[in-house]
Amino acid sequence: MALVTPSANTYTAFGLAISSDLSLPELAVDLNPESVVDQVSITSSTKEDWPELNPSEHSTPTVQMTPNDWRLELEGIGWFRVHQGRSIYWQRWDDSVSDRDLRTFLVGSALGALMIQRGSLMLHATALVRDGKAVLLLGAPASGKSTLAWCLHQQGWRLLSSELTLIDRQGMVWPGMQQLKLWHAAAMELDLDWKQMPVVRKGLQRFSLMPTDLSTSNQPAPLAVIYGITRRGKEDDKDQEEEGLRILAWPVLRQQAALLQIRNQAFQPRFYRGMEQEQQLFLHAAALVRSVGLHRLQLPDDVKRMQIALKYANLLDPISLVPKQSEPESESLSKAEK
Amino acid sequence: MAINDQGYWYLASYPKSGNTWCRVFITELMRLSGEEEAEDELNLNRDVDTGAIASSRHWLNDQLGINTCDLSFAELDPLRGRAGETAWLFAEGERFHKVHDAFRSPDSKGRPVVSTAGCKGVVYFLRHPEDVAVSLSHFFSWDLARCVNFLLDPSAGLVPHENHGGHQVRQHMGRWGQHVLSWVEQTQVPSLVIRYEDMLAKGPETFMALARFLELSDEPELVNKALENTSIDRLKKLEDEAGGFDEKPEGCERFFRSGRTGEGAEQLSIEQRRRLFSVMEEVMKRFSYDGPADD
Repeated sequence: MALVTPSANTYTAFGLAISSDLSLPELAVDLNPESVVDQVSITSSTKEDWPELNPSEHSTPTVQMTPNDWRLELEGIGWFRVHQGRSIYWQRWDDSVSDRDLRTFLVGSALGALMIQRGSLMLHATALVRDGKAVLLLGAPASGKSTLAWCLHQQGWRLLSSELTLIDRQGMVWPGMQQLKLWHAAAMELDLDWKQMPVVRKGLQRFSLMPTDLSTSNQPAPLAVIYGITRRGKEDDKDQEEEGLRILAWPVLRQQAALLQIRNQAFQPRFYRGMEQEQQLFLHAAALVRSVGLHRLQLPDDVKRMQIALKYANLLDPISLVPKQSEPESESLSKAEK
Repeated sequence: MAINDQGYWYLASYPKSGNTWCRVFITELMRLSGEEEAEDELNLNRDVDTGAIASSRHWLNDQLGINTCDLSFAELDPLRGRAGETAWLFAEGERFHKVHDAFRSPDSKGRPVVSTAGCKGVVYFLRHPEDVAVSLSHFFSWDLARCVNFLLDPSAGLVPHENHGGHQVRQHMGRWGQHVLSWVEQTQVPSLVIRYEDMLAKGPETFMALARFLELSDEPELVNKALENTSIDRLKKLEDEAGGFDEKPEGCERFFRSGRTGEGAEQLSIEQRRRLFSVMEEVMKRFSYDGPADD
């Protein structure tokens, strides 16, 4: 079992107290130890000390997995090991690798793998809170979750968890990583002073908004709505009048379709298979579909139009976003459902 | 693992050189030979799924176990060759992966940007660069001068900018001639080189060779029927029926347009044709592509 050393940095994410020998500013500082479910550790290690694995057939040359052991070899960055849902070990590739390089993958892939080992439902999603209720923005990397999250944040929502999000069996969404990563193009469109913003990693045109830059929430919140994000195409936008560019939502009525989408938006589905957690994922996702359901959220492609449209949209009330029956789903939305 | 019992193939090409036609043909041949559930007619947007494009971000995230948005393209290129070796396990039937990258990129540390382990081969499609220029012009809504420059640009690529995310990562192609050589001269996977012009002029024998190489049905009746069902006129009709092909970019009127050869010689200026030929003469001659001097 991992030991929490007094000298380590301690953070909270996904209900865990995380003791780390690396500074992890992407996570909330552990302010409320009483609400912590368990403790885990992140420590440097020597990969030669890690036991040989007999990896699952779901492993790849980069990711090796058994039910309780997960390894990532990321050339040029480092080696990572996650063991028994309690310990994360890392080794730097060489001295040129910065702490920032390491922690990008520690709080992403490694922490996600740890939560999957613990039997949790982790989704590729960003969660925000308003009036004590959480909405989940579901989408693959590069689907625009962070841009939408930033726009909502500017309108008073608080960030709960970004990129990967934990939903427990009671339907509570837990605080997780609280960093928004914005591409240069999005930062420009949002009129942010990107020259003053730190980059996610050296060499990337992707900027980082840390918990200290954001209004965040550090309490679990009940999940009110799940949205699968779709952007209208530029051509669709051009065809419509200004007043037509509003935020629209459609309930995904077929439970099978909703389940499939949620399962497909699990954080790294291959990890579930490789660590023999796929059945848990399926059961958990099915329960979520029954209790909360899924809506498709259609956004204008243009960020400025999206910002305007969001002012008139209440995302906690998806029914108010459903178009009248006479309005068909746009072409791009129909395609997305295929 | 019995990777070689299954294996996968690449369908590699510079853009607009017959790759998609081939993917539609494969889909149709599999449909006719009963390897896929047969419907009355091919649906372009639903059925043409022969395998993930090698530059798919979703695919790379899955294979590498990370969010590839957290790596620069230069960091990603050397890693891309590690993606794909085991993917056949979960996508049987989707074993023909489209690639527009050159075999290696300047950032890939001399390694291929695609996995070669377990790969059964690559079909490399090429087309007269003058005709590629015209087709690119319609596809990207660029003028011909820009297309000629693109074909000659040693740093040309698709999705070259790192300032926004997207469903695909950068695909370095280089100059047209460099792209061709990168694939036809590689020796790591078996290759079959097919000229677009031969797909048109010598359809039955060219597609028969393709079917055999890809270990698909090579019954002449089925191959000919699949070829007939995927003629350019037929594809145009299917595109109309589908209300547009999903793979066409915004601004592009239609994906399947003319399909014929010789448009470049008609539409490019003599100067533009000379530029292409003077820089890429050796590769063009090797594949029997004439320049303006030979007219």
